[in-house]
Amino acid sequence: MKLNERSVAHYALSDSPADHTGFLRTWGGAGMPPTPSGAGRRCWFVLKGNLLFSFENREGRAPLSLVVLEGCTVELAEAPVPEEFAFAIRFDAPGVRPHLLAADGPAAQEAWVKALSRASFGYMRLVVRELESQLREARHSLDLHRRSSWKAVSSRCKPQAPDRWSPGLENGHSLSRDCSPMGLVEEGGSRSAGRGLAEWELQGPASLLLGRGQSPVSPETSCFSTLHEWYGREIMELRRAWLQRAQENQPECKDQDRP
Amino acid sequence: MRYNEKELQALSRQPAEMAAELGMRGPKKGSVVKRRLVKLVVNFLFYFRTDEAEPIGALLLEHCRVTQEEPSGFSISFLEDPERKYHFECCSEEQCQEWMAALRRASYEFMRRSLIFYRNEIQKMTGKDPLEQFGISEEARFQLSSLKA
Repeated sequence: MKLNERSVAHYALSDSPADHTGFLRTWGGAGMPPTPSGAGRRCWFVLKGNLLFSFENREGRAPLSLVVLEGCTVELAEAPVPEEFAFAIRFDAPGVRPHLLAADGPAAQEAWVKALSRASFGYMRLVVRELESQLREARHSLDLHRRSSWKAVSSRCKPQAPDRWSPGLENGHSLSRDCSPMGLVEEGGSRSAGRGLAEWELQGPASLLLGRGQSPVSPETSCFSTLHEWYGREIMELRRAWLQRAQENQPECKDQDRP
Repeated sequence: MRYNEKELQALSRQPAEMAAELGMRGPKKGSVVKRRLVKLVVNFLFYFRTDEAEPIGALLLEHCRVTQEEPSGFSISFLEDPERKYHFECCSEEQCQEWMAALRRASYEFMRRSLIFYRNEIQKMTGKDPLEQFGISEEARFQLSSLKA
């Protein structure tokens, strides 16, 4: 089966975060017997997402091997394995050989088993979805809180030109772009332009919002125009929805998914 | 780089986020469009000959860029060689948009950033770290510091 190996290796070596690293002894590999005999080969392992890479050493410029951590369980290896601090990556699919690995000590062994057990894409997706719904709930209760305070704010508000937020707020259509993490594709790039992976990380959500404290309840939101924008969004969105319902023949009525 | 093909084959049989028959053209010059069954499973895009059960290839979708090409096609390229593109042809603009959106969300790195964003937002709004209840707030993969922004 073909694999985009060059890209995979590039990802392995890139400075995107490693979820766990360390030396492990490994068995199985070209020319190595499947059962542990002798001390095994000591390699530098790097866990990134659901991919476990091994290198000859910490300075290795090309991964020796890749294990895709999907559909597997990680367990402490038991007898008859004579190796201390060993654990195994076992696959649910029949015919896929388990990977046997051994750490240098009990703490490392435990840390690796934990890290590898949580490495699957599905696990990450579960946590993301959970947080997504928690955020939706938090925003909903904030909405309820805002409705009462909006009345006090609206009498003093003057339209201000948005500085960092996208223009076109007037037509109400940029709302979901700003609010949804999925929508901040174009915006996210400008903040980190010129830095390495920057434009490739456009697929990530909201790098614009991160670290800027831009939320209505944040103490850093002292700028009134920003506050106005936050409170104004809901009004814009409501107005847009009303207009759409009023003009029943509008062909486009996209259901914007706001977290 | 050694990897176990059987691991990938097993993965290709898992439920797919998206699967469809698309036109596919490899990155090499002079390659022609071929009909392939294309299947998105976690952060891998598998492609099969339309009448075969085992994939002929897989693309890991980390650090990739998905670009629209003419009305109903898209291409995938990778960070280390942006000119080297895998081309896909869809049967409609709608299908194309659907695939592009799915592929852009399909990387582990994208999910990591989503998670960190949500965690941060919830923390700001509620003052509480939502990961604490799961006992995973210290895990390396969820740390804000792990982002290179």
